[in-house]
Amino acid sequence: MREFRFERPGTVADAVRRPAPGTAFLAGGTTLVDLMKLEVMTPARVLDINRLPLRGIDQTRDGLRIGALERMRDVAAHDLVRRRYPMLAQALEASASGQLRNMASIGGNLLQRTRCGYFRDVSVPCNKRAPGSGCPAIEGENRMHAVLGASDACVATHPSDLAVALVALDATVRLRSRAGTRDVALRDFHLLPGTTPEREHDLRPGELVTDVIVPDLGWASRSVYVKIRDRQSYEFALASAAVAVRRDGDTIAEARVAVGGMGTRPWRLPAVEAALAGRPAAEASYTAAAEHATDGVRPLRHNAFKPALMRRTLVRALLELERIR
Amino acid sequence: MTESYGISRRELLGRSGTVAAVAATVPLAVADTAPARATTGEVGVRMTVNGSVTPLTVDPRETLLDVLRERLHLTGTKKGCDRGQCGACTVHVDGERVVSCLTLAATLGGSRVTTIEGLARGDRLHPLQQAFIDHDGFQCGFCTSGQIMSAAAVLADGRARTDDEVREQMSGNLCRCGAYPGIVAAIQQARKEAS
Amino acid sequence: MSVSPIGRETARVDGPLKVTGRAPYAADYHPDGLVHGHLVLATVGRGTLRAMDVTRAEAAPGVIAVYTPFQPVRLINTFQGFGAENYVPLQDTTVRFRGQIIGLVVAGTFEQARDAAALITADYAGTPPRTSLADAGPGRSQDIVQVLAPGVASIDDVLRAGPVTITTTVTQPAQHHVAMEPHATTATWEDDQLTVYSGAQMPQRSAPAIAAGLGIDPAKVRLICRYTGGGFGGRSPAWNEAKLCAAAARALGRPLKVVLSREQVFTTVGHRPAVRQTVRLAAQADGRLLALAHDSDAEYPAAGGWPLIPAQHTSGVLYRTPNLRLDQRLVTLDTPSTWAMRAPGEAPGSFALETALDELAARTGVDPVELRLRNYATQHPVEGRPFSSKHLDQCYRLGATRFGWDRRPARPRSRTDGDWLIGMGMSTAAYPTDREAATVRVRFHDNGRVSVASGTSDLGTGAWTVLAVAGADTLGLPVEVIVPELGDSALPPGGVGAVGSAVTANTMPAVRAAGRAAIGTLLRAAVENPRSPFHGLDPADVSYRQGRLHSGRRSMGFDELLRAIGTPALDAIGATDPAQDSPYAFHSFGAHFCEVRVHRLTAEIRVNRFTSVFDVGTVINARTARSQFIGGIIWGIGHALLEADPIEPDGRYAAATMADYLVPVNADIPDIDVHWLGYPDPHISESGARGLGELGTVASAAAVGNAVYNATGIRVHDLPITLDKLL
Ligand SMILES: Cc1cc2nc3c(=O)[nH]c(=O)nc-3n(C[C@H](O)[C@H](O)[C@H](O)COP(=O)(O)OP(=O)(O)OC[C@H]3O[C@@H](n4cnc5c(N)ncnc54)[C@H](O)[C@@H]3O)c2cc1C
Ligand code: SF4
Ligand code: FES
Ligand code: FES
Repeated sequence: MREFRFERPGTVADAVRRPAPGTAFLAGGTTLVDLMKLEVMTPARVLDINRLPLRGIDQTRDGLRIGALERMRDVAAHDLVRRRYPMLAQALEASASGQLRNMASIGGNLLQRTRCGYFRDVSVPCNKRAPGSGCPAIEGENRMHAVLGASDACVATHPSDLAVALVALDATVRLRSRAGTRDVALRDFHLLPGTTPEREHDLRPGELVTDVIVPDLGWASRSVYVKIRDRQSYEFALASAAVAVRRDGDTIAEARVAVGGMGTRPWRLPAVEAALAGRPAAEASYTAAAEHATDGVRPLRHNAFKPALMRRTLVRALLELERIR
Repeated sequence: MTESYGISRRELLGRSGTVAAVAATVPLAVADTAPARATTGEVGVRMTVNGSVTPLTVDPRETLLDVLRERLHLTGTKKGCDRGQCGACTVHVDGERVVSCLTLAATLGGSRVTTIEGLARGDRLHPLQQAFIDHDGFQCGFCTSGQIMSAAAVLADGRARTDDEVREQMSGNLCRCGAYPGIVAAIQQARKEAS
Repeated sequence: MSVSPIGRETARVDGPLKVTGRAPYAADYHPDGLVHGHLVLATVGRGTLRAMDVTRAEAAPGVIAVYTPFQPVRLINTFQGFGAENYVPLQDTTVRFRGQIIGLVVAGTFEQARDAAALITADYAGTPPRTSLADAGPGRSQDIVQVLAPGVASIDDVLRAGPVTITTTVTQPAQHHVAMEPHATTATWEDDQLTVYSGAQMPQRSAPAIAAGLGIDPAKVRLICRYTGGGFGGRSPAWNEAKLCAAAARALGRPLKVVLSREQVFTTVGHRPAVRQTVRLAAQADGRLLALAHDSDAEYPAAGGWPLIPAQHTSGVLYRTPNLRLDQRLVTLDTPSTWAMRAPGEAPGSFALETALDELAARTGVDPVELRLRNYATQHPVEGRPFSSKHLDQCYRLGATRFGWDRRPARPRSRTDGDWLIGMGMSTAAYPTDREAATVRVRFHDNGRVSVASGTSDLGTGAWTVLAVAGADTLGLPVEVIVPELGDSALPPGGVGAVGSAVTANTMPAVRAAGRAAIGTLLRAAVENPRSPFHGLDPADVSYRQGRLHSGRRSMGFDELLRAIGTPALDAIGATDPAQDSPYAFHSFGAHFCEVRVHRLTAEIRVNRFTSVFDVGTVINARTARSQFIGGIIWGIGHALLEADPIEPDGRYAAATMADYLVPVNADIPDIDVHWLGYPDPHISESGARGLGELGTVASAAAVGNAVYNATGIRVHDLPITLDKLL
């Protein structure tokens, strides 16, 4: 860990006042402290934002507002979340461990860094960590890596489970900087790696995530998050799916579908949503629609199984949804 | 009797034994808001560790885990990975379980920290500690402090009732010796005793 | 106290310390003036160090010293043909593998040492390392074991002829011990006397090994390892990090603590070698074996390591066959040192053999249990000696009943439970018991306690409690009165190394011998000491029973006697001899039964339940024995489904963290039903106990794999069996 200055701003205005390069906000620290120890992140100045009033889970005109510093555990346990967006609670509860969920914040979760082993190891090149140094994952151990949205520069997945569910729900992040407040759709917030994998999101220097807004979606009360992994728990996703369906009798009227473990960012699948609409709610429809999930996939040496796994995970999630009364 | 299982204070602490082995309050430094000292500035924090108010001046790089172990000599909390990946370092901060290896000590001003050393009431074991013995919920014992602190939080939370729920809630604590079935049985015993 | 504690449920005597966090492990000591060290490891796979830049590290705050090959602290290489590492660090500029120790930074605090170490840069002249077992040809044969029926010229002829033939090739990548406690050493010098706190399975071998590395008299080194966070083989040698820590502490004249980071553990203190194995079977249509050949090619590091022999104690032991051939080969690679890992040869070997047997069962249509009974060996297939005590047939039958084996679908992929495919598999475990010499000291104290001391070690195995139980049993005293001592190289020489599941079986008889000898010493003092009330009596007229001495109507406790004669303690050493050639072969046995479920869509594999029945001779402490079995089975589940560390062409391990190298978590483990038969081994020793600590690890992976086959109809030969291989 490099030495750094530690500060504890008391107000949001203080926190965003000096957007000096090399400044990092510290929320739960479960990503930041970890990566600082590995010297993957080397901020010269760390602002502990935990005293800031970025809390609360409440209904607003725009939807459900979740303060960026709310802890994963508290969000997962919140009655409104559980009743109205079960996939959110499930995604959170399938993440990390009980200890980490007590520590980790919602804002930090969306900004967590990839778990690509090369990114986390400073003894090897990595375009995301050291732009231009190369990407060993493309030819290396890439079983966990992305098959969607990858570029020649980077094939790392976005690891957040929560973000997958939020993208399915059309969530927005509210950002605050010296210049003011703006809302960005989460779908646009995370960036594709392209030639600049070091740029992961649309956050300006010194800008703070203050809230996450989840628009109302009545039928999301029937939604699931399914996470597939080698180990039963305490592991990132090989594949995951967040799905919600509005049914009209036995027919699917509308669907929301996003997948994790597949893309370089949380991956919404509009083509699958479209293919589901108007179909009978039955396995055959799910299987047919899931075919559209893998349009444009680019498998690597060790993750050729992922497209098939993604389709099957989607079918499974849709079937599980059927079982919910 | 316990002396003969290997605890010699002299060995643990060196000849002059300057630091109390279990007591939490160690006069390492001063105020609540000490100003910068070294190049990057040290930070004053006053936390309560196992009931004792413990004012410290910490290097901002120091984690709670290293402060407990290296400065307060509360070595019951173990470092298995230092990366949040094993759970051996689990302690309670303000009543909730956390991994102390990813918790910067500098952030803990005003917090209450409870470690395995603070769980028993005097010589009386906490019911979970006894249950871990009864069900052989450990072998080497290295993960055990973290398991018990984690289990105490799971019990306090109260939502995990079935064996499968307990297993899931306890999955952030690895045990390479494979004491999992005993751990689950111990937690269930303690839960039933408490209800 | 008349009921012997043998075989009962005795709680761990070290339990209260462990559940309160008061048991001190190697990194928990804080001698005055302690400073902290952090290792620097090589980042190329093979080559020579041209230069290292340590200027920034030396200038970093708090740094006390930096050691590298260019500014070394001296260590002596004492490698003599067998051992984990054939070099000592910092004595030359050669890089033998990626992750080799090339530096040590010492500073006032842990953070200062760690962060200064990161400032060091190294310049290498590299050459491509050899890292791929798959790309390497067959290795060097160690000794080839062959038994041929009369008239058979080559086993290949039989293997070709059939009528039924099976060829099964299985592979597994490197696996790691991942003991929860990262290796740590705290070294402190007092004049020329060194005390080392460091986890060790064989403290009385590690201490002299460290002494040799430092070039000092072994009597000057004391190693203390009372509490150690797991061993599994990874703490049987004294690794270079411990030697380096001791040498630097001497050079600095200060106590030094070096704790490996978790990532460093993966390359500096051994791993289970990657191995490829082929089992070939020829059998009659009814499954009776005509020939069994087992070949292996195992990773063997150029830097030294464990010569893996996976067939010896598996295919060489388990089944009756007229023709048998074992060829165990080693492939030299530029990988980090390997070392024995829990059931070192037996775990991988049994996966190969028991997978092949399952394939034979499937091919012949013979039930897997019945197939094993048809090939049941009553004598060692290679040595010809009868087994000392073998009731494996009962393990099969009892296990099958407890498990409900009769509900196994004979046809693969034919049972479901909702969206899950259900399958059952079984396998056979065997593990040899070595009979080793052992020495124990029993000491009566005038406070009523009796210490039972052995220079062995408890890695979580339960040795603390076994000493207490054995002492209590021998002396007719309650367990609570016995004070065990272990984990200290300064205890009487002759402690059994905590390897090969050997401690309990070999220490028990020595406790008996020492107990008897100590009673003799007590009785002699009773009649010889003028202050004793028994003074002058014929020794034959004084007897010891349950802690008291009796003669006629006179009776007194040993503590009273010691106080009467003014002697604080009396002791005696008891020793057992190493085994003479025995007409018997000593092995423990077991049968595993496993049920898995595999999701029909996403193919996740989950273990539903596990039943194992063991035949291990006398069980000394039921509670810790059960834990050892269960722990071993969990290792088998990890072996089958999770554990893998792929190595890259440059020698880098791709999964060298606790998040990437997956070991089972609590949620992966179902109820495990463990049972053992109660037959004391009449030939091993008077206690009748054989080894059991590693047995659960043997073949449990195969039971899982066979269950996956039964569930899915898919046979996965390349471990681990992950869902992508079943899609
Ligand atoms: C062992 C392990 C397993 C895990 N498993 C999972 C898993 O299965 N699924 C999953 O989804 N996640 C998993 N995680 C990741 C975990 O969820 C994230 O680390 C966590 O959510 C990050 O939140 P935090 O508050 O701790 O963030 P921090 O570490 O405090 O911050 C993370 C990043 O976000 C920035 N930041 C934080 N808050 C703000 C803000 N309000 N505004 C602007 N920038 C901010 C920080 O500067 C930093 O760059 C795992 C983590 C670990 C260590
Ligand atoms: S995939 Fe991305 S994060 Fe991983 S090594 Fe390549 S560039 Fe770095
Ligand atoms: S040491 Fe903190 S989680 Fe492993
Ligand atoms: S008891 Fe050894 S790791 Fe859990």
